[in-house]
Amino acid sequence: MLRCGPGRVVVTDGEAVGQVRVGGSRAGEVSSEAFDLRQEHEASERERRLARRRRLVEQLQGEGLLFVFVVVFVLMWVSSPYFFTKNNLLTAASVVSVLGIMAVVETLVVIGGEIDISVGSVMAATSVLIGLMVTSGWNVWLATVVGLLFAAGVGAVNGVITVYFKINSLVTTLGTYSIFLGLAYALSNTTTVSIGGEGFSVLGSGSVGSVPVPVFFFIGVWIVGAVLARHTAVGRHVYATGDNYDAAVRSGVQADLLRVGLFVAMGLASGLAGVIVTSELGSAAPQIGDPYLLSVVTAVILGGASLRGGRGTMVGTLVAVAILGVLQNGFALLQFSTYLEDTVLGTLLILAVLTDRLVRRAER
Amino acid sequence: MSGDTASAGPVLEARNVSRTFGSVIALSDVNLEVRPGEVVGLVGDNGAGKSTLLKILCGALQPSSGQLLVRGEPVTFHSPKDSRGRGIEVVYQDLALATELSIVENIFLGRERRRAGILGRAGFLDRAAMARDAKESLDSLAIEISDVEARCGLLSGGQRQAVAVARAVRWGSRVLLLDEPTAALAVMEADKIGGLVNEVASQGVGVVLVSHNMPQVHQLCHRILVLLRGRIVADLRRDEIKVEDIVMWITGAALASR
Repeated sequence: MLRCGPGRVVVTDGEAVGQVRVGGSRAGEVSSEAFDLRQEHEASERERRLARRRRLVEQLQGEGLLFVFVVVFVLMWVSSPYFFTKNNLLTAASVVSVLGIMAVVETLVVIGGEIDISVGSVMAATSVLIGLMVTSGWNVWLATVVGLLFAAGVGAVNGVITVYFKINSLVTTLGTYSIFLGLAYALSNTTTVSIGGEGFSVLGSGSVGSVPVPVFFFIGVWIVGAVLARHTAVGRHVYATGDNYDAAVRSGVQADLLRVGLFVAMGLASGLAGVIVTSELGSAAPQIGDPYLLSVVTAVILGGASLRGGRGTMVGTLVAVAILGVLQNGFALLQFSTYLEDTVLGTLLILAVLTDRLVRRAER
Repeated sequence: MSGDTASAGPVLEARNVSRTFGSVIALSDVNLEVRPGEVVGLVGDNGAGKSTLLKILCGALQPSSGQLLVRGEPVTFHSPKDSRGRGIEVVYQDLALATELSIVENIFLGRERRRAGILGRAGFLDRAAMARDAKESLDSLAIEISDVEARCGLLSGGQRQAVAVARAVRWGSRVLLLDEPTAALAVMEADKIGGLVNEVASQGVGVVLVSHNMPQVHQLCHRILVLLRGRIVADLRRDEIKVEDIVMWITGAALASR
């Protein structure tokens, strides 16, 4: 058997084969004679055309969303004299902020390649838990902190089951959705517990100037989310994890820890949403989370985040949340059936997913 | 490659490396060395042990016995992170690029540069510095990509491969392990990657190239190691052989005719 090893030193004249040119060559420029000039020219021309088309499609997707917002906004404006009033817009903003807080974090979860549909259930369970603690004599703020810790804990459970037992997050969170909604109804006997406390009601129904407090929570969470996504290493890692998990791991990204972290953040945001609604209503109730499963996911997908992961922006989610806010408000003002609201949301969700599909196809 | 690299010691060396999976012997008593500036081809039929050897060299697998040395110093790699720390980088067959991220973001993925001061400690990125650095990395390999902020999904297969190589070169100061770098590429683009490999080697990096493309292996590699059923059966010098000879060794025909 031959062995390779020392003693056979190889020296070759390592002259580089001309200049290395990889794609993107400027048309008309003389290239190394190693390649067929015409062929290369045509190939790069095709590449550029494709790149232009991809950019155009992306632009259209972003601007299309803004266009939808303007259309919906103007439609409501002409349909109802009450719509474009300061009070109504502030109320609408306050209502949609609860959805917005969760949508921001859900956007990160979806960019990271996962989904959490347990949000409404975590809201409800947090609310009921706080209610139970307050009725048994706990301080309302202490109860709130424990409630938030509980919500983060549920997120951790979602994350650990999904990541370390490799279960599809849709299934994991469908399971926890059912578990905690069931518990919320059972433990509350489906009854509403009123929660007093002067300070506590500020979280949901207080206002600074004329701006409702929930709006500040939403803006705060949104800014943190936007900065995290765009300007930090963690944000880049979230995109990379959702886009190409193996590549992220090979590059040294702590993708698993990151995903668990996303679920914990999602739990915490759901808990916060539950606290705000509880404060606003002045009572703990298991029904409060019901509308949010559909609306949160719709906002995120409508905002351009892709269920395949790796793609999504906070600006997109913000516009989508605004669209849903206007729609919700409009339905109330025009006294349309709230059941039809679900129908509209469902339609939007499917349209958004179809758009994403078309965009991806255009990019191939 | 300049003359003095020949006298330099091996930058990466495997001594008597074996690896078994249960009762299956994947690698048996393999010796390999790569010198700075040298391109070593690793060829063999499917299942001959090429991937196993490459994984051992980058720390993705651990040898059952034997020793790895980097610049003459014995090392143990528990994971690819350890080998990266020693200046060894891998370019995988499936590229391992995140297509939704830009070229810069891919080159710095997992090793992002942060801003100076308190913002940096809070995790803020220094995008400008990373863009400059990425541009320099591409320029040093004469890769012509005008916009380093472009999404990798917008690049052609060859351009993506070039980015993957540039990233590996950016971080792998000593050894570059290439796993079928041109398998998915058109002939023209494969040629360009070949040019890149030459360029990298001329900068003094040791290269191990795993490939099924025999003409390319013959063209690029200074030495060619042939694996057959987990053993290295030949250590061929490029200038002493023809392409057909490599195939003879791979199939074992050369061995039989001795």
